[in-house]
Amino acid sequence: MTQALVEIEELLASVLREIQSLRSYIQVLEEENIRLKRDAALPAQETERVIANAERIQNVAQENLLRLYNDGFHVCHLHFGQPLEGDCLFCMGFLRKD
Amino acid sequence: MKFFCTKNDLLTGVNTVQKAVSSKSTQPILQGILITAENQKLTFAATDLEIGILCDTPANILTEGKMVVPARLFSEIVRKLPDTQLSIELRDYTLLIEYDQSNINLKGYDPEEFPLFPELADAESFTMPTALLKTMIKQTVFACSSEGSRPVFTGTLMQVESGTVRLIGTDTHRLAYRIAEIPENPELHFYGIIPAKTMSEIYRLLKDEDEIINIRFNKNQVEFEFGSVRLLSRLIDGQFPNYKQAIPQMCETKTYLSVRSFLEAVERASLMAKDNHVGNIVRLVLKEDAMNIAQTSEMGKIQEQIPIRLDGKELGISFNAKFILDVLKILDTDEILMELSGPFSAAVIRPLEDPNYLYLLLPVRTA
Repeated sequence: MTQALVEIEELLASVLREIQSLRSYIQVLEEENIRLKRDAALPAQETERVIANAERIQNVAQENLLRLYNDGFHVCHLHFGQPLEGDCLFCMGFLRKD
Repeated sequence: MKFFCTKNDLLTGVNTVQKAVSSKSTQPILQGILITAENQKLTFAATDLEIGILCDTPANILTEGKMVVPARLFSEIVRKLPDTQLSIELRDYTLLIEYDQSNINLKGYDPEEFPLFPELADAESFTMPTALLKTMIKQTVFACSSEGSRPVFTGTLMQVESGTVRLIGTDTHRLAYRIAEIPENPELHFYGIIPAKTMSEIYRLLKDEDEIINIRFNKNQVEFEFGSVRLLSRLIDGQFPNYKQAIPQMCETKTYLSVRSFLEAVERASLMAKDNHVGNIVRLVLKEDAMNIAQTSEMGKIQEQIPIRLDGKELGISFNAKFILDVLKILDTDEILMELSGPFSAAVIRPLEDPNYLYLLLPVRTA
């Protein structure tokens, strides 16, 4: 009887050790999972940020080009920065958003 | 060199090549016409190194040879000659022209000094009906710029691709575009800016009896051959702007109107612009069924009204009258469609019966 109890106790102690080692392993896995989730989320956020920034820059650039044209300078690639003599079809085509 | 010919033979040759004679060159030889007598024909040639024209006329050649004559004087002499058989002989760089009991001695230049006409290396070619090319030139060349400070706009863009040929002329304030099919050459590709002077010369020289024109080209030059004429021209260096981007794809107002009524009304309105220091600007006010055309100057005021059909928004817009008249004069159609997008955006004029042509013009901003 005593022998049986000793064996059970050893078995339980072994299971406990196994559980303890598994716990630390799961803890590492959970940390890894959190890190991976965070890493996976970053590119999407970064892309959104880059797109938003590009749109902002594009709008600012468009506004700047429009201002430059309205101030009397070509914005078409052929004569960029040269003084306008009347409106230019190619500048207006470039500035227009059909 | 000795040959017999008529006044008309000489006149044909001189008239054909005279526009290629240089008027400003410091090289005297370029102010001359090279006359070559061989194979029972006379070949007249002139060049200013930008454009070169050769023309063959028949003649009775006794002795072959060649000579360069001063173009202006020779041309005036030929025009004044009587309509009789001419005997022409070269003696020591002097041309002896004999007719009836009279004669003229004309000193010339050494033909060896005359520049050779280059043969087009690696050239490709296509043909098209002369009548079609004449129409295309007429519909586009007038929109080119005459300002030498912007060379690419002093020529028409010829674009050959996918079995079509396009001509586009623009001075950046207006643009004329014409497309035609050349179905036998679907693989051919060409993109070159041809000087407006060259195009105008081809238009002048093309005759109705010349049915087909052969166009050869390489990267730097283009050659047109029709009837007994060969015309060579250099291409203008530089990149033509993206003209497709300039053509609006949408509009707010569409108006259909008679070419003749519009032309006559704008012509009458233009009369008032004489001595007008602000230029010849006409004001158009488009309403549902009529267009008012007005011009005011110190001389007075004119108000015209023509019937139109209008789809979309009513609006008022001002244009340089010349830009309108130029296009209305070259259209062979009764009715046009004018597409507008507000008083400051480019207008598009299209002939109703011809989808292959369009004309783009910018309005004038008025106070």
